[in-house]
Amino acid sequence: MPILEARDVSREYRMGADTVRALSNVSVLIERGEFVAILGNSGSGKSTLLNLFGGLDRPTSGEILFDGSSIGPLSSREMSRYRLHRVGMIFQSFNLIPTMTAQQNVSLALAFAGRGRSERRADASALLSRVGLETRSQHRPSELSGGEQQRVAIARALANGPDVLLADEPTGNLDSSRAIELIELLDEMRHKDGRTIVIVTHDQELAKNHADRIIRLKDGQVVG
Amino acid sequence: MNLSDIIALAFRNLRQAKLRTSLTVIGVVIGVAAIIAMVAFGIGLQRNIISNAFAKLDLFTVITVFGPSADDLLALGGGDPETSAGLARRNAPTPSESPSPSPSPGSSPQPRERSKRVLDDAAIGEMQKLDGVRYALPVIMFQCYVRYDGKAARQRIGGALATTEFNPRFKKFLAGTTFSSDNATEVVVTENFLSWTARGDRRRRGGPFTPVPERSEEERAAEAQAAIGKTIDLLTLPSSSAGPASVFGIPLSMITSNPSDSDDELDSRFVKHVFVITGVLKAESGVNFDQFARTDIYVPVEQARAFREANRDPLERMGEALVGDTGYTRAEVRVIDPSKVGDVQVQIKKLGFNSYSLTNQIDEIRYVFLVVNGALALLGGISLLVASFGIANTMIMSILERTREIGIMKAIGGTDSEIMRIFFFEASLIGLTGGALGVLSGWGVTRITNFLVNKYVVKQSPYIEFFSIPWYLAVGAVGFAVLVSLIAAVYPALRAARVDPIRALRHD
Repeated sequence: MPILEARDVSREYRMGADTVRALSNVSVLIERGEFVAILGNSGSGKSTLLNLFGGLDRPTSGEILFDGSSIGPLSSREMSRYRLHRVGMIFQSFNLIPTMTAQQNVSLALAFAGRGRSERRADASALLSRVGLETRSQHRPSELSGGEQQRVAIARALANGPDVLLADEPTGNLDSSRAIELIELLDEMRHKDGRTIVIVTHDQELAKNHADRIIRLKDGQVVG
Repeated sequence: MNLSDIIALAFRNLRQAKLRTSLTVIGVVIGVAAIIAMVAFGIGLQRNIISNAFAKLDLFTVITVFGPSADDLLALGGGDPETSAGLARRNAPTPSESPSPSPSPGSSPQPRERSKRVLDDAAIGEMQKLDGVRYALPVIMFQCYVRYDGKAARQRIGGALATTEFNPRFKKFLAGTTFSSDNATEVVVTENFLSWTARGDRRRRGGPFTPVPERSEEERAAEAQAAIGKTIDLLTLPSSSAGPASVFGIPLSMITSNPSDSDDELDSRFVKHVFVITGVLKAESGVNFDQFARTDIYVPVEQARAFREANRDPLERMGEALVGDTGYTRAEVRVIDPSKVGDVQVQIKKLGFNSYSLTNQIDEIRYVFLVVNGALALLGGISLLVASFGIANTMIMSILERTREIGIMKAIGGTDSEIMRIFFFEASLIGLTGGALGVLSGWGVTRITNFLVNKYVVKQSPYIEFFSIPWYLAVGAVGFAVLVSLIAAVYPALRAARVDPIRALRHD
């Protein structure tokens, strides 16, 4: 059974008087433990698809299924819990809270899951050392390099043990050597923990070298 | 996310914008301080006026019953037994004694209801038997020239029972004790009487406020102790010039046998009745709710009765000549329990008498203060209302600033209600801090105002406390500040919960 499935999904946005169709009738299957790259130019709808998988957005029509069941009927509260426990998201601009240290950023995700203070501290440290940042845990994002920030974001995404990591242009703000390191880290998550990795990118090279499978999107449609 | 995490987050958020938070808190502080100062003044006034009366709780068990005046009796039909509510008026005059053009009872508009029968010993006896009554006594008051310590002056003198139990007038003896019997030639005076004789005619200060005594307790007690055993002379005209002696009913023993024994040359022109001081009462302060019954000299009740008979003024005698015995003007009925006052008053009404109790007036005063305090609280509340807009504004600013942060929280799994709760806690922390500081500064304002008013406006040596901040005012003001803050945060919190994470996180 696929871990994630988009079934005939369309997503339209209203931009003033116009309706923009970001995705039209897209169907995609992602198997458990796969490393999938969604490739496309900007405006191809690749981020929209990732947001739908991540439970941040809902399709205009069609269905998103996680582990065989549709997430469409979930209430807003249940959707929050889905984002908390089922999927972990990583963004191009890292989206760390600038006023919190690396440790606190990771801890926040654990706090939303209702974990106790001391447990959180231990877990956050463990997660940060997993991404190689044990010495940087008390630094704020502004004191960390782009690669380090993105690794904090990965640690945060992993906090509540999600089955799937969804990364939206995770290497977009990194130089090529840092980008490769990061992709290798994600790959390690897949091999060691059996997590499913879905990354959105426009970097063909990176996609070809690391992904098991590439889904190409163009103008909101799957082109192969 | 558990409560302590939400509070920690709220604290953290407020700390991020220290200046803005402080300014918002100051707004709340001013609002709460205004409420505290205003209402503290209202409650202080109320306390100064009412609570002094409350402190003397026995004031609430007493009912004053009014006897009719001769005029009232004339208006009722000149003491005609048939119109006097079936009272057995033993000494009722025959109708021929009353003047023929007697005004009819209904013709003259009378604002106050009249007592319909004579307040005599029989009526007081009936009151004594009413359910819930501890005792009923006539209030006997008369004016008389008094000589003490070489000075003579006209004074009002009251009759009192020798018993100290349930006796509101004999609560606090500074020295000595009560009369040995209800017929003794003994007298109890107040501190004020002694200071009148010691320092000229210095009247007790009235007014709603309790002045702090100027002299120490020991000094006052010593002065009082020195007066015990001294004598007071009550001076009356010789019986021949006041009518037949039998009318007065003054025991002969009271009249000094030989006026010429005294070295006082005036003694031949009046009769001197010698009374020994057995007790000195502590001066009472606060509002005097019992203006008419208050005197500085008390003699035993039987003595007072005799003196009253002897010292009726000519007009009173004329009235009596028209209608017969007018009885006592007032009687005091004491009930066993303040809750009985209402019942007993109804029964007294049925007997045909008007009555008055402090309970009647306290209710009215309480109501007035409720309105006054409400108005003052409203004035203070307006500044808190202004502050609430400040809170709403601060919260909205903070949400605009933190839209991205809110988006992140939602993206990593925060629920709408968790986001809302963070903002509600931020607002209530502003309210709580502002409220607590507001109570403190309100207290400070009352202290400063009290000091300045006492020093420059009142200029009275006893220090007067104008304000009162009871615990419920302090707690209520803080609670109100928190409530207002929470209400102000409703819109901002809803707005925070509605932040669309995709829009908030769209990279710039």
